[in-house]
Amino acid sequence: MCPESVEQVLTRYNDSRRCLVEVLQDIQDREGYLPEEAIRRVAERLDVPLIEVYRVANFYKSFTLRPRGKHVLTVCKGTACHVRGADRLLDELRGQLQIESGETTEDGQFTVEAVNCVGACALGPVVVVDGEYHGHMTPHKLRGLVASLQES
Amino acid sequence: MEKRVNITIDGVHIRAPEHTSVLDTAIEFGICIPHLCHYPGVPDIGACRLCIVENVVRGKPRVTTSCTLKVREGMEIHTNTDRIQQLRKNVAEMLVAEAPNSKAVQDVAVRCGVTDVPYKFHNEECVLCGRCVRVCNDVWQAKALGFVGRGRDRHVAFPFEKKPDFCKHCESCVDLCPMNRTPCPGPMKKGEEFVCGQCESQLSMAEDVDDSCVWCRLGDGFGCTRKVQAQ
Amino acid sequence: MKRINTVEELESRRDTLLQEQDSDTLTVTLCGGTGCRASGADPVMDALQQQLKEKGLQDRVSVQVTGCHGFCEQGPIMVIDPENTLYCQVTENDVPEIVEKTIENGEKVDRLLYRDPVSDEMIEKEADIPFYKAQDRVLLGDNRRLTPGNIDDYIANGGYAALGQVLNRMTPEEVIGEIKNADLRGRGGGGFPAARKWETCRDTPSAHKYVICNADEGDPGAYMDRSILEGNPHAVIEGMIIGAYAVGAQYGYIYVRKEYPLAVSHTEQAVKQAREAGVLGENILGSGFSFDVEIARGAGAFVCGESTALMASVEGKVGEPRPKDVHTVEAGLWNCPTTLNNVETWVNVPHIMNKGANWFASKGNESSKGTKIFALTGQVKNTGLVEVDMGTSLNDIIYKIGGGPHNGARIKAVQTGGPSGGCLPENKFDLPVDFDALTEAGSMVGSGGMVVLDENTCMVDVAKYFLNFLQEESCGKCVPCRVGIGRMLEILTDITEGNGKPEDLDVLEQLAWTISETSLCALGKTAPNPVVSTLMYFREEYEKHIRDHQCSAGVCRNLVEYRIDPDRCTGCGACLKACPHGAVEGEKKQVHTIKQDLCEKCGICKNVCKFDAISVQ
Repeated sequence: MCPESVEQVLTRYNDSRRCLVEVLQDIQDREGYLPEEAIRRVAERLDVPLIEVYRVANFYKSFTLRPRGKHVLTVCKGTACHVRGADRLLDELRGQLQIESGETTEDGQFTVEAVNCVGACALGPVVVVDGEYHGHMTPHKLRGLVASLQES
Repeated sequence: MEKRVNITIDGVHIRAPEHTSVLDTAIEFGICIPHLCHYPGVPDIGACRLCIVENVVRGKPRVTTSCTLKVREGMEIHTNTDRIQQLRKNVAEMLVAEAPNSKAVQDVAVRCGVTDVPYKFHNEECVLCGRCVRVCNDVWQAKALGFVGRGRDRHVAFPFEKKPDFCKHCESCVDLCPMNRTPCPGPMKKGEEFVCGQCESQLSMAEDVDDSCVWCRLGDGFGCTRKVQAQ
Repeated sequence: MKRINTVEELESRRDTLLQEQDSDTLTVTLCGGTGCRASGADPVMDALQQQLKEKGLQDRVSVQVTGCHGFCEQGPIMVIDPENTLYCQVTENDVPEIVEKTIENGEKVDRLLYRDPVSDEMIEKEADIPFYKAQDRVLLGDNRRLTPGNIDDYIANGGYAALGQVLNRMTPEEVIGEIKNADLRGRGGGGFPAARKWETCRDTPSAHKYVICNADEGDPGAYMDRSILEGNPHAVIEGMIIGAYAVGAQYGYIYVRKEYPLAVSHTEQAVKQAREAGVLGENILGSGFSFDVEIARGAGAFVCGESTALMASVEGKVGEPRPKDVHTVEAGLWNCPTTLNNVETWVNVPHIMNKGANWFASKGNESSKGTKIFALTGQVKNTGLVEVDMGTSLNDIIYKIGGGPHNGARIKAVQTGGPSGGCLPENKFDLPVDFDALTEAGSMVGSGGMVVLDENTCMVDVAKYFLNFLQEESCGKCVPCRVGIGRMLEILTDITEGNGKPEDLDVLEQLAWTISETSLCALGKTAPNPVVSTLMYFREEYEKHIRDHQCSAGVCRNLVEYRIDPDRCTGCGACLKACPHGAVEGEKKQVHTIKQDLCEKCGICKNVCKFDAISVQ
């Protein structure tokens, strides 16, 4: 990790206590996760007890304290996706990658996540691959997607 | 002199000091409201929900925790209606099924009328009352502990799950814990949990006691400061 | 951008902008909502720009990318005006033909026109499509006309006129009076009268006051707030400025989920433009009134839809609710009086100021006024965003607008209100959709999610789904919510796995009552609703699971078994290839079998079998 980036983020938010959640988001966007030393530094500069920052980092779902894979596959588990078979997509990924949601493959290539709703309900079931939305997903199409990512 | 407000608790007129909670006021005046997460002198969060009462607002009784409810002029509180008794018993059932291992929890559950629970026992080591967290953060300002995670992942932890060097080693967190303050003399083994009902607090279930404070021993478990009988 | 210093300057700016517009110009409008983008709107846009350039048409044709039109099922959507031709599911490969035929020669490309699934008729004009026709698109209609975040577009469309009128001619009390006369009720969930909030906030003395726009929209199955904020952020900002003027607030926050990146960037852009134009910030339109807003990005927590949790989150803390014995309108953000309204509530404000309380109150029914946007999803033909007058029946929404069942299966219920709402059976579909009727029937309007469920949905599974969601999303602070939901889930899991006991239903009811009465916040208080409503209307499904260990919908995995019919199996190998768990075996051209010990009952094999050889038992 390049230590400058955390300092830059904090400076951009003027060391504002209110912006703790946003600061952590930006750090995560840069690093892919929240490293321990970054959390300690944020606590120091914002003058917030370390336990508070640690609590915030653990409370919100989009934060992760462990590095994620090169590709992040996010399966939407919203109601609309659920009734249109989102569980089968998780089945497919579990079968293909041998990991449960929330885990990363040993080779660090893939992280599978299940989220509650990405707000694209009309297209359900939806899988977000590295930030890109894929609607009307089927286990078959998903297998193709994973394969193409493995090749790339 | 301290300003006081007029409230009624179970029909009794009380002049309560302003800014105090209904629970503190009730205890002060010898009216017993079961509680678990409350600890004298430590800020309340309303986690265990055992101290629920009915607060009558514009003629409608609203269920709320008395520890987080501040007294207001003209307030009308009922601590023991049929509805409250049933709800409190249901909450106590949930609690004792989580941690039958703790005498404090057994005590309070039995006192709330629990004789059996309709769930599988879980035998947890923590009921997340948060006394340790609050005494550490709010009283001693050490800020070494906190609730981490949410939903079923919520637990009490140090930052990064390691004891930090700024912990003051005051041991208050251990002292105030209802799980180890009064451990059950025969700790229950996993899979063998039950509501024993052998605690002294059974006394408090007697309907006709002379005084409003029943010396229930519950107080010991909770570090209750109420040792004075009313009137 | 030049700063607008007075209301008069605003009006003359509007006149100039309108004069520049030419209604005869050929306009191609592409929906750029998240739905259409996910379906491939971006490559269509690129191809269109390139084609127009190649043919030298870029000056003659104006191209506009707008926010969500709502017809997400058919995306990417393209509308060509003034003819009002609507093309659906457009791909980049269709673009050359569209340019040649429609743009150059005024002909239609038939295969891209919308085909009504009910009558099988081809429909040329956007306005004639039943999905749109049965709606009253007061709020969503603007999405279709505006380039998101472009303030000139918004002003030309009548934007900030309400603000000008309020600042010029109305006292804060008059503004609140107008909202009160309109009987505007909060669109975020409970339907609490907005004017009552505003009034209390105004009457609470404090040096600092805040207004907040709740765009957290954590309900799974709902995305109307996302679409408004993405498509028309200025309207939200205008509503907030008017609200701030009414309650006496100097500062506001728009709390939006990080998962909505497009909404965040469009809103950021709109805020910046509004500041430059002088409609936001110091001395707005020369009135002496100052107000500014900031965007706060949520990081994913359903409980932050609850007002006290949301405010804690805006302050940069863990989003845990606190007891609400003192309301947030008296002591909210940093303990100051705070007015919190949802996106859709705020967007209604400029409309009410422009057209009057009577206009607003003329829509809807006795109990609920105005229109409401719903996210119609699930097993229905036309999924998307629909806006109807309050009081429209569920039947009209599901059948007239939604076009009925998705793939021939019988519709059996609709889930409204998200995790805090409930499931209503088909025999309740004549109910008017308003705040009180749905609550009385055991569900709620909520923020507007409407998920249609058909006979392939197991109602016990739906209840379990929501409890699972709520268990993860509960902050875990209080016992009834944390432990109680867990216990309910435990019981439902037993039932769906064939281990249910007859007395379980009584325990569920007792738990539901306790959780709803004793939980600390609204998340817990409403958490049992999905169970209570399914128990009320679909009790026999629960009983069947418990008594007969059967799941009629074939959803509950422990109660079903997948088998291959040897008479039908051709040995094509499709199921073998598709099974992610390696549970299908068999030689090519030979009958295949399922190894039950490996089978996880996901049903993928059944879906890929072209010979109907796989059955669920």
